[in-house]
Amino acid sequence: MNEYVLDCLGEACPVPLVKAQNKLKELAIGDVLIVQIDHSCAMKNLPEWARKDGYNVEVEEVDDGEWEVIIEKNK
Amino acid sequence: MAESRRAATSRRSSANRKPKKNQIPYGFVAVFLFIAVALWLNTKSSTLSLFWITGIAFGFILQKGRFCFTASMRDPYLTGSTSLTRAVIIALALTTISFTAIKYGYASAGLPIPGMSYVVPISFATLIGAFMFGVGMVIAGGCASGTLMRVGEGFYMNLLALGFFILGSLLGAHDFGWWKEHVISKGTAIFLPDVFGWMGAVLLQLGVLLILYIIAEEYEKKRGASSH
Repeated sequence: MNEYVLDCLGEACPVPLVKAQNKLKELAIGDVLIVQIDHSCAMKNLPEWARKDGYNVEVEEVDDGEWEVIIEKNK
Repeated sequence: MAESRRAATSRRSSANRKPKKNQIPYGFVAVFLFIAVALWLNTKSSTLSLFWITGIAFGFILQKGRFCFTASMRDPYLTGSTSLTRAVIIALALTTISFTAIKYGYASAGLPIPGMSYVVPISFATLIGAFMFGVGMVIAGGCASGTLMRVGEGFYMNLLALGFFILGSLLGAHDFGWWKEHVISKGTAIFLPDVFGWMGAVLLQLGVLLILYIIAEEYEKKRGASSH
C-alpha cells in the first residue's frame, strides 16, 4: 500500500473535492490518500462524499483551521 | 489491518504537527469586545445594538453550521449530496411562514405592509442575473454571505473575492437605473397574497417547497445508488 499526500491548502471549496475525486481514481486498492485542506467548506463535502461512496475516512485538525482528510481506498 | 494502517498515518501526521496556539484567551477578548460594543451601540440606538447582535449571531450560525448557499446548489451535481439543498429549502419554508405572519399582522391591522419595496417585477433579467451569479459564486467559492463568513475565518482567497464582489456591486448599482428603466420595469410585479389570498399564498409556496424537498431526497437516493 502507498500513501499519497494531496496538497489543497489555499484551494477554495469545490477544488479540493474534485482533485481528491480524480486522484482517488488513480490509486490502487489499499492505498491511502491524505488531502490537506484549509477551507472549512471542503471539511464538510469531502468526508461526506467519501463516506457516501463507502471509503474509510478520518478527519484530523492538524492546526487551527487546517485539516487532513485521510481516505483509505478500501474497495 | 486497516486499523493499524490508519493508526500509522495518524502517527505520521501527528509527528510533524505544529503545536496549536491556545485560542481561548482570544475568545474571551472577542466576547468581551462583542458585549462592550453592544452596550456602547445601545447608548446610541437600540436598533443598532440589535443589528450588531443579530449580525454576529447570523455569522456564527453560518460558520458553525457550515451552511453554504453555494454548496446547496453545487453539491447535488458534484457529489450527489442534497443535505444542504434540503437545509436551504427548510430555511425558506420557515421564513415563508414567519414573514407571512409579520406581513399579515400589519395588513390585518390596516397598517402599510413592511418590505413591499422588495416585491419587484420578474423578467428575463432575473433569470440571466441568477445564472451569472451562480457561475460566479461557484468560481469564487462562496455567495455573498459565504464569502463574508470565510473572510472572517481568515481564508485569503475569499478576501480577493470580497474585493471584486464590492467592485461588481458598485458597477451594478451604477448601472441599475438603466436596467430598471429599460428591462426590469417591463415585467409585472406579483405579490402572491394579492392573487391567491394570504392562506392560499402560504400553502402554495409551502407546497412547492415540499415538492422540491421530495425531489432533492429522491435525487440523492438515486445518485447514491448509481455511484456504488
